Amino acid sequence: MCVTEKKPLLRERSWSNYWRISSSEDKEKVIAHLEHLVPGDDEEHCFLRQRAVLMADEMLENALFAAPRDTQGRPLYAKGERRSLSPDEQIEFISLYDGDTLALEVTDTWGSLTPETVRSFLDMNLSENEPVEDRSGRGLYFMWRVMQDFYLSAVPGIETTVGGLLQLQTKNCD
Amino acid sequence: MTEETFRIDVKRVGDSEVMMFRGNIDTHAEPHFTNLFNRISTTKLTMDFSQTGRINSMGIAFLLRSIKKFKTEKNATVMVSGVNQINTMLFKMTGIFILAPEIKPAGA
Repeated sequence: MCVTEKKPLLRERSWSNYWRISSSEDKEKVIAHLEHLVPGDDEEHCFLRQRAVLMADEMLENALFAAPRDTQGRPLYAKGERRSLSPDEQIEFISLYDGDTLALEVTDTWGSLTPETVRSFLDMNLSENEPVEDRSGRGLYFMWRVMQDFYLSAVPGIETTVGGLLQLQTKNCD
Repeated sequence: MTEETFRIDVKRVGDSEVMMFRGNIDTHAEPHFTNLFNRISTTKLTMDFSQTGRINSMGIAFLLRSIKKFKTEKNATVMVSGVNQINTMLFKMTGIFILAPEIKPAGA
């Protein structure tokens, strides 16, 4: 995991696909687009698509429902509810695919996810001795485990950017 | 696939029951898990994921909760089948396979 404010982020480069999210309804549109972004029916491409849609799902769920917090740190929205972004709120999702590596990145303007929080989530999920149904930060744990070069750029109270890479691999794909 | 298209079909096969999960398992699937327990009448259960799309972290929580409830309150044995590559990764990472071993396809 790379945690820095200096790392060049995907949104600072030329990109192939850029979405400005306006409501929770956009999540499925982004995911549907990602599925088309990675063509190919072989096992490698199928597995890349499976990982891509899961990562996009977790990244956008976090930006839409986990990032917005009140001054006491309580979530403002329940997961799964339909909501539009407030006028002073932005969520950007970017993907780049070169035929071998897919880069994904999401930025929200809440800045509520700190590196310390991420580390505590990862520690919690890594220390599981037995399966626990309700585990905080499981989506971030999935990102950290599934993506290569997972990174987080946090400016507290201003914005959080999370991203990483997915590469073609030879795996069985149902 | 959206919440409107997700469903769980329960089918009796001999002395066991197969739960077929159709669609994505995410937060919108919760109502289907709420009443799933009451739809089950046997203690030999198979969860079939061959028609399942993506399962996100919320979906994993629903599955873990359901499996634990079947095992503790019905004293049931639970197996899983038809799991694709990414969901196999998630099941290994979250311990679902510890609670509900996978039925490997013949010849695998």
